[in-house]
Amino acid sequence: MEDNLFDGGIINADGLKKSFTLTRKQQKTEKTALKRKIAVNGLSFSARKGEIYGLLGPNGAGKTTTLRMLSTLIKPDAGDAFICGHSIVKQPQQVRDKIGFMTGELKLEGFFTPDYLFDFFGGMHGIGKETLKARKSELFSRFGIDRFANVRVKDLSTGMKQKVSLVIAIVHDPEVVIFDEPTNGLDVITAKVVTDFLIELKAMGKSIILSTHIFSLVEKLCDRVGIVIDGKMAADGTLAEVCGGKTLEETFFEIYRGIKGAEV
Amino acid sequence: MKLIALMKKEFHRFFHDPRLIVTLLLPGVIIYLIYSVLGDVIWDDGKKDFTYDVAVYGESQITGKLEQAIGKDLVFSEAADLEAAKEEVNAGKKTALIVFSENFDDEVAAYVPSAEKKAPQVEIYYRSGDEASYSFYTIATQYLNAYESSLANKFDVNGEAKIYDFTDPDEIPKAMMSGILPFIVVVFIFSACMSITLESVAGEKERGTLATILVTSVKRSHVALGKIVPLSCVAALGAASSFIGVSLSMPKLMGASVGSVIGGFGFLSYLLIFLLILSVVPLITSLISVVSAYSRSVKEASAYTSVIMILIMLISLVTSFVPGIGAWAVAIPVLNSVVCMQNILLFQTSVWQSLVSVGINLVYTALLVFVITKMLSSEKIMYGS
Repeated sequence: MEDNLFDGGIINADGLKKSFTLTRKQQKTEKTALKRKIAVNGLSFSARKGEIYGLLGPNGAGKTTTLRMLSTLIKPDAGDAFICGHSIVKQPQQVRDKIGFMTGELKLEGFFTPDYLFDFFGGMHGIGKETLKARKSELFSRFGIDRFANVRVKDLSTGMKQKVSLVIAIVHDPEVVIFDEPTNGLDVITAKVVTDFLIELKAMGKSIILSTHIFSLVEKLCDRVGIVIDGKMAADGTLAEVCGGKTLEETFFEIYRGIKGAEV
Repeated sequence: MKLIALMKKEFHRFFHDPRLIVTLLLPGVIIYLIYSVLGDVIWDDGKKDFTYDVAVYGESQITGKLEQAIGKDLVFSEAADLEAAKEEVNAGKKTALIVFSENFDDEVAAYVPSAEKKAPQVEIYYRSGDEASYSFYTIATQYLNAYESSLANKFDVNGEAKIYDFTDPDEIPKAMMSGILPFIVVVFIFSACMSITLESVAGEKERGTLATILVTSVKRSHVALGKIVPLSCVAALGAASSFIGVSLSMPKLMGASVGSVIGGFGFLSYLLIFLLILSVVPLITSLISVVSAYSRSVKEASAYTSVIMILIMLISLVTSFVPGIGAWAVAIPVLNSVVCMQNILLFQTSVWQSLVSVGINLVYTALLVFVITKMLSSEKIMYGS
């Protein structure tokens, strides 16, 4: 019902707002006397089915907070977002069934093996045994995890851990993949594996929303981009619409200077 | 199905980690060994078999009576030279030397206590550093003192060879056990719950692995139960190990036989104690889980849990110092179980009180599970940092 309101978007954010109480220590670090910090301030955007949408912005712009709201880990103070027609505020459980969320904050227990964790999280999403077996075989082989399937996660390399996390995030074949800083901390080889897989997911008709501060990543992967500065949407549209013939980097700094003055 | 998968994961985590199993079960074995050895040392000390080779200088009928009292392990030999006999004791060749003054028996018979005349003397030379020598000195002194008292006997108190104390010798260890055992049981339950719950709840929260589960569509109540049920089962194993260790070794520590103390309780007593323990384990596990879910790290959770442990220990100790705790105690979790266990061990079992206590503990557990479920849904608590 609700997604009709947003021109066929599979992820529709409508006036999302989120603020946090600052501790005294945080007030000192941020050099502010304000007790609350507005992280996301009325953010609205729409990501379409089968496309990759990139949230681009500097650190502290509110990208991660937005993705955490979309993944239902935290609730917006105001506004709502609809994923596959389900409200993140009123139907968080249904939303969780539709999404795969990847972020550095979510970790896997080092004691278990990729094989065990894949089955466990498959169970958490209610996937049948046969489907799970076929999916494990496909994904483990695709990411080269099969050789390490029975090695404990704590003994894997950082890159392999990232691959295992990615595979487990999409164990239930979600329609929407939410990816916070997908290539952060990865070596060039693993980063390429991840970006290639995102392109592959898109080709399979999956919808992806990612956050990043890397211009080249947006230019390489994204169909649409939203530039977020100070929790507000500064520009939103296809790359061509947003950039208007300039590079993304030039466009970003032009917008940034327009908002922040001569800070850059 | 999701709940079962969550529980299986927790069980897998414990039963595939030998270190955790050893950590959980080892206290029971260690307690048994330490208490048993301590008991043996305390109660077997006076029962060592010594052979006493004692020199006697002078004559007295007392030597014959000492021989009768101590038995075949005592051999007397006459000493002709006093100084040579002393030297033999000093060199360890003789256990001790008894010196009677001249005409000792006659003088004792004729002696009337007065300040003017010195009493007949018995001297015992010995070496306190030698176990056998010191043992003989102790026994001989006790015997001679008793003999001396009997010579001027005017009246006796409980002097006949009858049983005046109607207390069953096994009652004392039982009474001591009823005071100590419930307290020790609660402490061990708490330790077992703490050792696994902190790591499983606060540890997972700190490492971010709990959030990975929360981002799936599993219900928060299932996540809470998926922790509490397996953790309680594993903690119950640890507590059972410690309980068995204490139960088997405590009678030894108190100088009684295991069978005489433990065998006195019937099936109902065991069943009620088992149920009481079983109701306290999930209660404490839930309580520590609430604290762990609230804390930002294992370290923080450990600090809070230590305070709770002290409180629970105090509650458990109250029963030993406050006489006549009434039926109102059933409303207070943990305390109700300690009181009930104490009554059972004193053969004053109240079935209804025990069962109500079990029920109340389970109600409190359910409330705490509800609180944990709410906490898992709270972004401030789960992602506050």
